Amino acid sequence: MQIECPFCGKRDAHEFAYLGDATVARPDPAVPDAARAFYEYVYLRDNPAGSHRELWYHSAGCHSWLVVTRDTRTHAIETIAQVGAR
Amino acid sequence: MTPLPQSRRLASGGLIDRSRTLSFQFDGKPMTGHPGDTLASALIANGTILAGRSFKYHRPRGILTAGSEEPNALVELRSGARREPNTKATTVELFDGLVARSQNRWPSLGFDVMSVNSLLSPIFVAGFYYKTFMWPAAFWEKLYEPLIRRAAGLGRASREPDPDSYEKAFAFCDVLVIGGGPTGLMAALSAARAGAHVILCDEDFSFGGRLLSEQFVIDGQSGADWKAAAVFELEQNPAVTLMRRTTVFGGYDQSTYGALERVGDHLPVPLPHMPRQRLWKIVAKRAVLAAGAVERQIVFGGNDRPGVMMASALRSYVNRFAAAPAQRLGLFTNNDDGWKTVADCIRAGIKVEAVIDPRPAIPEAFRQLAIQAGARLFEGGLVQDAHGTARGLQSIDVMTSTGRTESVAVDGLAVSGGWNPAVALTCHLGARPVWRDDISAFVAGDTPPGLVVAGAATGAFDLRSCLADGVRLGAEAAQAAGFTAVAPTVPAASEETLGLMPLWKVTGARTKAFVDFQNDVTAKDIVIAEREGFRSVEHLKRYTTLGMATDQGKTANVNGLAIMAALTGRSIPETGTTTFRPPYTPVAIGAFAGHHRGKHFRPTRLTPSHAWAAEQGAQFVEAGQWLRAQWFPKPGETDWLTSVNREVIAVRGAVGVCDVSTLGKIDIQGADAGTLLDRVYINGFSALPVGKVRYGAMLREDGIVMDDGTTARLAQDRYVMSTTTANAAKVMQHLEFCHQVLWPELDVQMVSVTEQWAQFSIAGPRARDTIQKLIDPMADVSNMALPYMGVTTITVCGGIPGRLFRISFSGELAYELAVPARYGDGVIRAIMSAGAEYGIVAYGTEALGVMRIEKGHPAGNELNGTATARDLGLGKLMSQKKDFIGRVMAERSGLTNPDRPSLAGFVPVNRADRLRAGAHFLGLGAHPSASNDQGYMTSVAFSPSLSHWVGLGLIKNGPNRHGERVRAYDPVRRGDIEVEICSPVFIDPEGGRLRV
Amino acid sequence: MSDPMPNPRFAFAGHLTAIGSLVAGAGITLMPKDDLALATVIARKGQAGVLGERVQALFGIPLPARPKRAAAGKIAFIGTGPGQWLAIEESSGDPQSFAAKLATEFAGSGSVCDQSDGRAVIRVSGPRARHVLAKGLPVDLHPRAFGPGDAALSQIALISTLLWQIDEAPTYEIAVFRSMAGSFADWLIASGAEYGIAAMS
Ligand SMILES: [Zn+2]
Repeated sequence: MQIECPFCGKRDAHEFAYLGDATVARPDPAVPDAARAFYEYVYLRDNPAGSHRELWYHSAGCHSWLVVTRDTRTHAIETIAQVGAR
Repeated sequence: MTPLPQSRRLASGGLIDRSRTLSFQFDGKPMTGHPGDTLASALIANGTILAGRSFKYHRPRGILTAGSEEPNALVELRSGARREPNTKATTVELFDGLVARSQNRWPSLGFDVMSVNSLLSPIFVAGFYYKTFMWPAAFWEKLYEPLIRRAAGLGRASREPDPDSYEKAFAFCDVLVIGGGPTGLMAALSAARAGAHVILCDEDFSFGGRLLSEQFVIDGQSGADWKAAAVFELEQNPAVTLMRRTTVFGGYDQSTYGALERVGDHLPVPLPHMPRQRLWKIVAKRAVLAAGAVERQIVFGGNDRPGVMMASALRSYVNRFAAAPAQRLGLFTNNDDGWKTVADCIRAGIKVEAVIDPRPAIPEAFRQLAIQAGARLFEGGLVQDAHGTARGLQSIDVMTSTGRTESVAVDGLAVSGGWNPAVALTCHLGARPVWRDDISAFVAGDTPPGLVVAGAATGAFDLRSCLADGVRLGAEAAQAAGFTAVAPTVPAASEETLGLMPLWKVTGARTKAFVDFQNDVTAKDIVIAEREGFRSVEHLKRYTTLGMATDQGKTANVNGLAIMAALTGRSIPETGTTTFRPPYTPVAIGAFAGHHRGKHFRPTRLTPSHAWAAEQGAQFVEAGQWLRAQWFPKPGETDWLTSVNREVIAVRGAVGVCDVSTLGKIDIQGADAGTLLDRVYINGFSALPVGKVRYGAMLREDGIVMDDGTTARLAQDRYVMSTTTANAAKVMQHLEFCHQVLWPELDVQMVSVTEQWAQFSIAGPRARDTIQKLIDPMADVSNMALPYMGVTTITVCGGIPGRLFRISFSGELAYELAVPARYGDGVIRAIMSAGAEYGIVAYGTEALGVMRIEKGHPAGNELNGTATARDLGLGKLMSQKKDFIGRVMAERSGLTNPDRPSLAGFVPVNRADRLRAGAHFLGLGAHPSASNDQGYMTSVAFSPSLSHWVGLGLIKNGPNRHGERVRAYDPVRRGDIEVEICSPVFIDPEGGRLRV
Repeated sequence: MSDPMPNPRFAFAGHLTAIGSLVAGAGITLMPKDDLALATVIARKGQAGVLGERVQALFGIPLPARPKRAAAGKIAFIGTGPGQWLAIEESSGDPQSFAAKLATEFAGSGSVCDQSDGRAVIRVSGPRARHVLAKGLPVDLHPRAFGPGDAALSQIALISTLLWQIDEAPTYEIAVFRSMAGSFADWLIASGAEYGIAAMS
């Protein structure tokens, strides 16, 4: 599989580390039901057959965290973007 | 023995170099051939018809095909360490000195004792593995398996290490053309003329595909001449890479292809520094699959007899290799293409005795051809059985259109059942082929993005269509890759017809009729599978092993499916479809490993003091990728414990030095550096004064400890963090996640500086005296100026800039001195000479481990992925004033339960007993069971300071049970001793020695 | 302190000796670059523009926003990530002072870290350099895809690498983590052996 890093260009998937679901957000630890929110954040994941937003890390390249929208059935990649600070 | 003349070599013709003669041996018999031969063609030229014995029944088998689809002619090639089983004689390029042996025969190929398996064939029928060997279990190991292993098998691998080298390589192109036959050559020309960068691969050692094997005429030239001109044009184009002897074996995501180049397989041994094979990963913008088609058989009795051959293969041997597989040939064809064989045999002077064509009416031209050949023509006839011996075919039984059976004497039979397009690569990403009734064959279904199929691989079997396809699809591929194609011209070629009448199996055969030759699957096995309910194609495959051998059923699958369809009264597409997974042909494991074997299995990281440690005779140990000094044996020390005890005693009594450069070091700068550290560590760092160091632990978001280490504040906006050796990369990735994904608003800059610094721990009561001698004047490292947990910048050894940390892992007065890595070698030598007067020793990871256990510091064994900060006695560090990663989840009731296994120390009640890491804790007298398990011993060491073994472990409610006795139960090593729970700190619990 | 300052030990020391001296007609030539000063420079939050102006003003170099090498005189900057660069000084007599100088100049706009010892750089040049590198680098080095001034962060033989092209000879320079210099040299020698290797010091 090839992933096109916005900084480095198209690279083999071996250069990247996979983390998983990019649609979950770390909850505010101050909310009253933070324990439940964190439980869901840490453990509960959808497993869609189709388009999925995922976090990948270009570990052998520029160390960017990327949000990759990938079709889990075909591995076709729709969009790739730097996340956050970069 | 002098070789006999090549009795079956035709007097003229062929694409072989008759000016040179190559010598080779088959089963010890000397033979000769010519450059351009394959082993199979040379064997045929020498009149050798028998090539091997089959897998299960040890039936004699001949050469069936002339390509990589060959199921029969598998040989052991070469000898000694290079002996390789299951090599296809049909793809082995002949070289001088080649040695090959037939397989699966004992004691000789002609007379094989195991062919008695044929008599036992009732036990080898479909499903025999499942049925016969179900019970009793003990019989399996002692009786069945050894029996099967000896009786059934595919050659013998060498037991010696592979002496050859392999490598990997990457290639990139606009257009990858897979297959160098007429379609592929035309596609490559068309794409290259448009300016595209083209890679053209073919598994053969010569481009041309069927052009080499048929009597084609293109643009008024012979097929071979046209091919030579095409290859010349491609070779002149610098944008074209021609890869002969290269099989594209797999198609992967995003237009990535795997290919195996046999770099040195055609040589007796690879040249110096030449790899034997090279595994290519090819990234192509577009790919054209022009892999052609594979001729399929017709299933009849004795269809596996030596002397039965695919018609296209026979033409290859006659036309390309000038070798005659038969002298009195029968031809059994259900299509027009097979009739080319007659014309070619007339030209080559091979007598065609009979043509059996099951079609009720054939074109008049073929009738004339049969007359011209002097062959008997059986229109509407069938070959029911072929008879012969291991030495060759003797006769065939022909069922005529009127239902009579006639015997015809032949010494060879060419068979054509039609063609199966080679669509394997279209299936590698999950697509399935689809059935086409008009050609009675599967063609590509959905193709992966970027891949198009061309020529015979699409089911367009005639040359004119192939050339046209190549022109058009080569140009389109170039266009899709961003080039402007020039107006394509299609070379002229004569028209061909197929006229196929499907025929999969002849009924009424009296002898065994084979579907899968390599796995010895018969038509009857499919009947049994159907009868027992294994009717889906997936069940059929697994129950009969149809299509599961090294040839992946290239000549067998569709026949098997068609037979099952007929048995169940369904159509072929209703019955199922064949599909393919990589690799298309077998790939040696060595090729996948490439450079990475033996000591190059993975990169090795060497510490800055490695060369010095090696000079000292250090024993090294792998710590992840690092090679670290484990201990430094002195002359006369033969036992590791003696060396380690000496090192520990020296550190605790005087001073020692250890290379700790492998610990991860991360430079963290920015206005919000302290804020980020507060959020990743359980304890606070933003309030740490400049010039101070603090121990910290970090959690995963689920509340479990991820890593620990010390972090020093070098400036208001600059820290340097240390991580454990094992987790350095993981922590860096985690910090980048925290910054980039969670808190991008922070002003933080991070970079690994692990490799920049050589870092030495100098520990022991004389550590300061030693340091004092190294540092340059003006620096004050007194206890007052640099107290415990302080850090300062200094220069050492006359100007080398460094950092000096007053931190200790051993529990002694200790420093860590960091200098630029290039000076690591010089500085350790300087430390050793500075400390010589105090009796300094170098110590390794073992002594380091002993001392950290004596001090109760948790390390990798305790940070086991299940322990919380509280479990490790770090609960009091957990800040109540701030949020940090893992804080919320760490409060879950299951993680705060005091009954959780928690850190404690252990000493043997009988002080002479040895402790074992991994021993489980049980109550005294408790039955050893999982429900009585209280935890386990994580780390142990012999403490030379206490003269007995000490251990750390995680035990239920550990901190509150000091003084209690439990069993340390270690059934694997027959250990079952009583131990006492105690504080994990065995030495200097008040920490007085650290602060002097 | 009377002992002289210890000699530095460079990362490739002892790892390139196995291939002997200059081979006539060698396919590749290897030369360790021990005299480079290296420093990572990372823009502070929101300060990339200011940092770029400082670099332009000091060295006359436009900071590359992509994996490219921009050089003037003895100084070069290579883009190694968004807002991150590796700064290089050629023939540096005093590598530590390079990072110190940059840190002073970039105060407030960039964080600087000395890496002169953290990375080992080797120069690979010659007519077969591309063939050798293709055996490990999953990046297209064909001139139409990669030329002088281009750089790539990737990995070769499981070793993280930063590679940049100097000229069309072609000449490449490759930085690897110092501790892996030996393993990287092993791979280079194994991969280049069939073309002939010359080693220079
Ligand atoms: Zn990247």
